[in-house]
Amino acid sequence: MNNSMRLFSKVVWAEACKQHRNYFNNRAIYISLFVWPVFSFLSAYYSYSAFDIRGTFISYLSDDNILLFLLIGYMAMSFFRSVVQSAWRFSMERQAGTLEYIYLSPANRMAVLLGNALSSVFESSVVMLIFGIMIMYYQRNALNIDVLGLISVMIIFVVMALLWGVFLNACFLYSRDTDFLFTVLEEPMEIFAGVKIPVVIFPYWARVISLIFPLTYILEALREVCLNHADIASVRIILIISIAIIIVLLTVTLVTIRVVEKHMRKSGNVILF
Amino acid sequence: MNFKVFCATIKKGIQIRIRAYPVSFMVGCILTSFYTILGSYLMYHYFFLGQLSESFELNARTTDYMSYAIVGSLMYQFIVRTCLNVSRTLITELREGTLESLMLAPFKRTSYFLGNMTMQTVLTIGETAVAAVIGIAFGFRISDFNLYHFIVAISLSLYGFFGLSLMLGCVMLYTRDTYISQNTLFAIIFLVCGITFPKEALPYCLQLFGNVIPVTDAVTLMRASLLGGLTDSEFLYLGLQEFILGTIYIVAGMPLMKHVEHIALEQMEG
Repeated sequence: MNNSMRLFSKVVWAEACKQHRNYFNNRAIYISLFVWPVFSFLSAYYSYSAFDIRGTFISYLSDDNILLFLLIGYMAMSFFRSVVQSAWRFSMERQAGTLEYIYLSPANRMAVLLGNALSSVFESSVVMLIFGIMIMYYQRNALNIDVLGLISVMIIFVVMALLWGVFLNACFLYSRDTDFLFTVLEEPMEIFAGVKIPVVIFPYWARVISLIFPLTYILEALREVCLNHADIASVRIILIISIAIIIVLLTVTLVTIRVVEKHMRKSGNVILF
Repeated sequence: MNFKVFCATIKKGIQIRIRAYPVSFMVGCILTSFYTILGSYLMYHYFFLGQLSESFELNARTTDYMSYAIVGSLMYQFIVRTCLNVSRTLITELREGTLESLMLAPFKRTSYFLGNMTMQTVLTIGETAVAAVIGIAFGFRISDFNLYHFIVAISLSLYGFFGLSLMLGCVMLYTRDTYISQNTLFAIIFLVCGITFPKEALPYCLQLFGNVIPVTDAVTLMRASLLGGLTDSEFLYLGLQEFILGTIYIVAGMPLMKHVEHIALEQMEG
């Protein structure tokens, strides 16, 4: 047991290092990691300027914390978006011809996918995270944090982002068609997961769509504990749903890995194309 | 200007478009504009319950937020498509391996780029029209249409966009990169050019940034021609400003492009 854990973590680490070497050799990557998210955050923030903030009926929102409300949204999204990009890069393995090496090696498939998601979640979001924490510190008076709540929500958040990434990666073991990812997961996630507009005020049809995105639930919990001093008890329903989503994502991923490999063995050829 | 090169470029462009590019690419661009409009719609009607700030009414010179945002996002779609195509022409030729043969042919820079621009404009007008129809469902109303202003606004916008595309094209060809440069420019435009909110809401330094990109005035002119809000003399002043800005971009861009082409050809491998 101990030995297999050691092997598992070895593969996770190796894959994470590989991803790092692959994508951080070029400085321009920092533009895409920092400049784009910050600019889109600023655009959303200034687009609020067209409105009278007192018009909204979200009780805990005011002129003071609207910036933080939005910032939390964009920080959380940068985690979820980074795994979308990692999944897209993972599909390159197939084109580059390295996917079959992974299959030929004795590496645990789950560990490979996890390593990939791990590297992208932490490396790609760290710049945005630092930026966010700086702004939060600057605006700390508007924060209304429940520390215990925040810690537990953060743990669930990170696990969820990781498994979301693993799940997306697993989808690409099966399919080569990557375009749908961006059509479905880039802009719609920004709108429907409540990144810039709270889900609570959505009309019925939009709420139904918002339920698809795991980010919707955990983002709501994050904002409640950061801005509304909500403790664990008051966000427990969201947390229970989030844990359920985590279990579902994990199960689906494990099943997908198994099914895909079986399928490959039967119908694939040496180069998997 | 060489008319033969101009026509040949258009013909070549349309043929490539029909044979090599799937329709999904166009659909993607319309979707982007759809999501921007949808975001504004939810924000205006549901989040803030239709309550605009005083500064918006003062700076935007209209109280019709939806039309304001829709015109902005349609113009944004237009500039994105123009840049994506006109700026990328030469680097695409380089990547596809046709830059060398293009340079061997009797290639006239001005005609070539104008041809590309014309073809692109015709195609984009179709896409924008589709997006505008979607916009009507979300509350796009043309409240104060002025035909002369509209024609002036369109011509000046195209002029300015052409200049901007040339500059972006130089950067792309020089750095051999399209992904980072184009997306960074689009993020900047969306932020500083008054696409979904008046640029007066921004800090002063960002406003200055917006003033030197020939998109800001183009969007304002187009809004004025459709929704009103500007006097004739203000319109003329802005139009002149856009014209001068566009001219600077074109006058600087053309020789720069020639220079960058030489560099690209010298360094080209294979």
